[in-house]
Amino acid sequence: MDIGVDIGGTFTDVVCRDPSGQIRFVKVPSTRADPGRAVLHSIRHMAEAWGVKPADIARFAHGTTVATNAVLERKGARIGLIATQGFRDVIEIGRQMRHRMYDVILEPETPAFLAPGARRKEVPERIAADGAVVTPLDEAAVARVARELADDGVEAIAICFLFAFANPAHEARARDIVRANHPAIVVTTSHEVDPAFREYERTVVTAFDAYVKPVIDRYLRGLEDGLAGAGVPAPLQVMQSRGGLMAASVARQRPVRLFLSGPAAGVIGARMVGRSAGIDDLITVDIGGTSCDIALIDRGKALIRGEGVIDGFPVRVAMVDVNSIGAGGGSIAWLDRAGGLRVGPHSAGAEPGPACYGRGGQEPTVTDASVVLGYVNPDYFAGGTLKLEPARARAVIQDKLAKPLAMSVEQAALGIHRVLNAQMAEGIRLVSIRQGLDPRKYALLPLGGGGPVHATALARELGIGRVLVPRHPGVLSAAGLLAAPVEHEISASFPRPLADLDLGELRRHLGELDRRCAPLMAAEKLGAAAVSIQYLADVCYIGQAYTLEVPLHLDQPEPIKRLTDDFLAVHDRVYGHATPTPARIVNIRAIHRTGGSEDDELPYAPAAGDPLKGTRPILVAGAKDFVPAAIYERAAMAPGLAFQGPAIVEQQDTTTLVEPGWSGSIDRAGNLILTSRS
Amino acid sequence: MSSPAAPSLDPITVEVVRHKLDGIANEMESTLLRSSFSPIVKEGLDASASLFTPAGETLAQACAIPIHLATLIPIVRTFIKEFPLDTMHEGDLFVMNDPYLGGTHLPDIAIVMPVFHRDRVIAFSAAMTHHQDVGGMTPGSIPTNATEIFQEGLRIPPLRLRDRGVMNDTFVKMLRLNVRIPDTVMGDINAQIAACQIGARRLIELADAHGHNLMNAIFQSLLDRSETMTRAALREIPDGTYRYADHLDNDGIELDRRVRIEVAVTIKDGTMHCDFTGSSGQLRGPFNCVPSGSAAAAYFSIRAITDPSIPTNAGCFRPVTLHLPEASVVNPRAPAPVGSRTATIKRIAGCILGAFKDVLPDKVPADSAGTLLTMAFGGQRPDGSTYVVGEMIAGGSGASRYRDGVDMIETDATNCMNLPVEALEMEAPIRVNRLALRADSGGAGRQRGGLGVVKEYEVLQGETTLTHRGERHYCQASGADGGGAGALSISVIRRVDGEEIAIPSKLVTSLRAGDKLIVETSGGGGYGDPRQRDAALRAADLANGKISAVAAADD
Repeated sequence: MDIGVDIGGTFTDVVCRDPSGQIRFVKVPSTRADPGRAVLHSIRHMAEAWGVKPADIARFAHGTTVATNAVLERKGARIGLIATQGFRDVIEIGRQMRHRMYDVILEPETPAFLAPGARRKEVPERIAADGAVVTPLDEAAVARVARELADDGVEAIAICFLFAFANPAHEARARDIVRANHPAIVVTTSHEVDPAFREYERTVVTAFDAYVKPVIDRYLRGLEDGLAGAGVPAPLQVMQSRGGLMAASVARQRPVRLFLSGPAAGVIGARMVGRSAGIDDLITVDIGGTSCDIALIDRGKALIRGEGVIDGFPVRVAMVDVNSIGAGGGSIAWLDRAGGLRVGPHSAGAEPGPACYGRGGQEPTVTDASVVLGYVNPDYFAGGTLKLEPARARAVIQDKLAKPLAMSVEQAALGIHRVLNAQMAEGIRLVSIRQGLDPRKYALLPLGGGGPVHATALARELGIGRVLVPRHPGVLSAAGLLAAPVEHEISASFPRPLADLDLGELRRHLGELDRRCAPLMAAEKLGAAAVSIQYLADVCYIGQAYTLEVPLHLDQPEPIKRLTDDFLAVHDRVYGHATPTPARIVNIRAIHRTGGSEDDELPYAPAAGDPLKGTRPILVAGAKDFVPAAIYERAAMAPGLAFQGPAIVEQQDTTTLVEPGWSGSIDRAGNLILTSRS
Repeated sequence: MSSPAAPSLDPITVEVVRHKLDGIANEMESTLLRSSFSPIVKEGLDASASLFTPAGETLAQACAIPIHLATLIPIVRTFIKEFPLDTMHEGDLFVMNDPYLGGTHLPDIAIVMPVFHRDRVIAFSAAMTHHQDVGGMTPGSIPTNATEIFQEGLRIPPLRLRDRGVMNDTFVKMLRLNVRIPDTVMGDINAQIAACQIGARRLIELADAHGHNLMNAIFQSLLDRSETMTRAALREIPDGTYRYADHLDNDGIELDRRVRIEVAVTIKDGTMHCDFTGSSGQLRGPFNCVPSGSAAAAYFSIRAITDPSIPTNAGCFRPVTLHLPEASVVNPRAPAPVGSRTATIKRIAGCILGAFKDVLPDKVPADSAGTLLTMAFGGQRPDGSTYVVGEMIAGGSGASRYRDGVDMIETDATNCMNLPVEALEMEAPIRVNRLALRADSGGAGRQRGGLGVVKEYEVLQGETTLTHRGERHYCQASGADGGGAGALSISVIRRVDGEEIAIPSKLVTSLRAGDKLIVETSGGGGYGDPRQRDAALRAADLANGKISAVAAADD
């Protein structure tokens, strides 16, 4: 029995796969104060409702928001920072750019809250750009400042020296001194977390690692104890930002890699679904209550970026390239002072939520519009767990929008959808254009509970002809956890021009990375499972500041020429041109991978009963009046079933709107494929 | 005020089209940044893309730095005047850069494309890029010691770059021969053309979907809506005339002469008029600012003080008028040099905002340092190869009624990143000995001004040419409501033999091995009476090193 548990802001999703491949899932409310409680609660639920014995659980894979929440809520550890003499303010100075261009009353752009000046210490030491020692490390000073920080009550210390990526000796020695003198204090060093140049970015990610480490450690330990107590023998595995799992025992050593745990699992889930449907190029759109997360899967690979943003701060750790735009199901519709209908960026969130939730929401939202337009069945929302009140949705749209605009409630509701869809489509287009990818060549994969109701409209706006709705879009992240491989990654700075690259030297350095990766994989205790190794290099033109990640194929003839050619191809895609001018490697990276079941064909058996439940009038863009739409029950739709829009497909975790002009069919794996007829 | 939107227009379609226009501008900008060659575009983001109505009003603009805001407006107007609509053809492209005919400074080359739908011009798509070089007396084409525009590079009048699909080879040959890096310049021009073409393609799709007449009506409605909202926002400011003045250190040529920027902003019944009477006459050095730059500063200010949710288009600018005295620093006469006008635009924006300090105390902070210390180090490495490294360093922002200023942050019309210490040291034989917040540099106040920074450089080997373009060496950022001024900038060269030279804001000199350069950037102004500062905040500032014990005792 394999279990995947994804903790989101509102719900904790649990997916259970039995040895026959049969999937079951449940959503339980998240318990923000102690996220682990929801996990343990779900184990009880599985035992009681499905008869799953804890002892039969062979895998337990977990996606968590604990690291992100610790930052958002400023609930990380009290940390201290030790820097090179003269540079303790690097973390507070930052890169001097402001995010909100037109603001004049500004807010700090740097995470100085991690360690304010009083908890930032300096020690005499200096390494030069070439790694040479300019000033030897003052070991007595390290001991002294460590004592001061310990006296100040810090739980963790981040050590960030200039050019430590070129020569880590001073950082390593300082770490050993701090550890020897203060064994209870967690120590993290910049050359271990992020061995790459640019001192601000390296310091920030190192400080974040220290900040979340004690929190993650406590959380994972609590979860492990809970699982053991419940009789689950499987080791806990955690999803990393890059889209691979690792043992909790390893994850806690480098917790900064857990920031995008949940969304990464969603992208892995989407890739798995894409493979089952034979579609390699996908744009995934996860529409939640307040935001919409967009990711691209190109030729079967999720796009990865080397630096992400957490709460507005740069975090230089590889992560799936998920881009967020501020529009979702809870987005509020309002009239501006010139009578224009606007949607967002304010959201009703989960509390009070849309007016139709009946929890006191007084503003019209996108979900309210979906109810008025007939898209969403008020009695079958979230599987019927939340009964919606259409009268409230109508009333609020009537009062706030329809009346002042002198139009019908239905037209106003349709307006909300049209405006939101136009806005989201432009956001999605921009995300793909920035990657040098033309959205028209991709299929759209909606996920999350809110995605499928907008899917055909978004596809139409984007010129996309195919939509792939997974069997369970609402719990795709949890399903992705079950499919993901176990993965470990080690990087190193390796600044060399490509022109005079010594292949033997490159192999030696990669071999060193392999030696450091191997024990991490061994700690997974996966037995003799085959490990595949991938090498990557961050490459840029000489004189250019930003790198592109390019695979290294050492097993092929002329690997350096191949690397150069591949770099030019990626550069051409991302930047629109490429010239054979001198380029250089900045960092190299080894990734060790094992397991993963993305290729597994999961058996699909539809439930008994007539999939066609009836018809319901709906209003869609471009139509003058309501049209009758066929209503299908997703669970009962068998492979081969074909139908035409307008139609609504209802299922426990989401609702899919199939606009007129689209055809739908169920494939062998149970995916719902929508195709534009124009 | 214009007539309200025709009643037949569906407000939802109008809003949908607005999102598409913004999306088109963003897609153009993204293409421009993505396809450009030069670092100043790719990393400095010094480029923008816009859509215009056939009458030359901005429909949508995407820019990553406010200094580009609305700067294409006078350029498009010039083209329309020079080449009437009925003489334009499908496949035409227009090009110009001349600051005295509507441009900004010579490195900014504008490309404008008429968009045809059924043989009619329905819009213009336009892109402006700061090119890495346009000739003139120094590489990079921003000489700080120019005294005539002719020294700043090639002046391009309004020209057809492409005529019915045929490129103007004569012009291209002239351009290539007059710039130092012709391939890069042409690569960036091609990126501009690509951006314009994407804008045109999507505008035509939009016209196909909605029809020309309806689309035109929607355009007008969008402009009217933004105008309505801007006027409504301006009406919330009490009518009256609000004055402010501030100074630039000097023009780089006459080092002892301060440059005055004076503005009287009149708010009257939903309009804003900025009168710059009292500002210095035009300068000998390159800090003169042509009208497009003064307008960009005004538009930035209006965006900053009105409702941020108002969609930016020409409608926002309709209620704004400027009086720019002839032959002054804000409206020079040819052939005065204009290349370094960025510092001037920043100060103009600061002055317009400053005028509202008393009347909008919740929205306008004390003065920010409002400076971007711009330096270049150039020399040879031990292996004989040459290096040129640019460095841009901000100061502190002004404190506001409820918040301290932010330390070391870009403000107003620019938004550039600084250079990492490790990037500099990997590039040039220069070591940075210290980079720290500059204690006590923020203006005292109930809310403290943001701090500047201290950075110390040491030349390790050979000789380095240093270009230093500073501000706030002689004129502090003022406080508000009783708050103190931010500290002045100080830059000192400490020669290896012990001699010390104070840099008079602008300087070009040489540094040799062992010489040190110590720059300290200015702080933002404080807000409110310093004696009312919360004791806990003062204690935290002391503990965190933002103020010294002496300063704490003085307060």
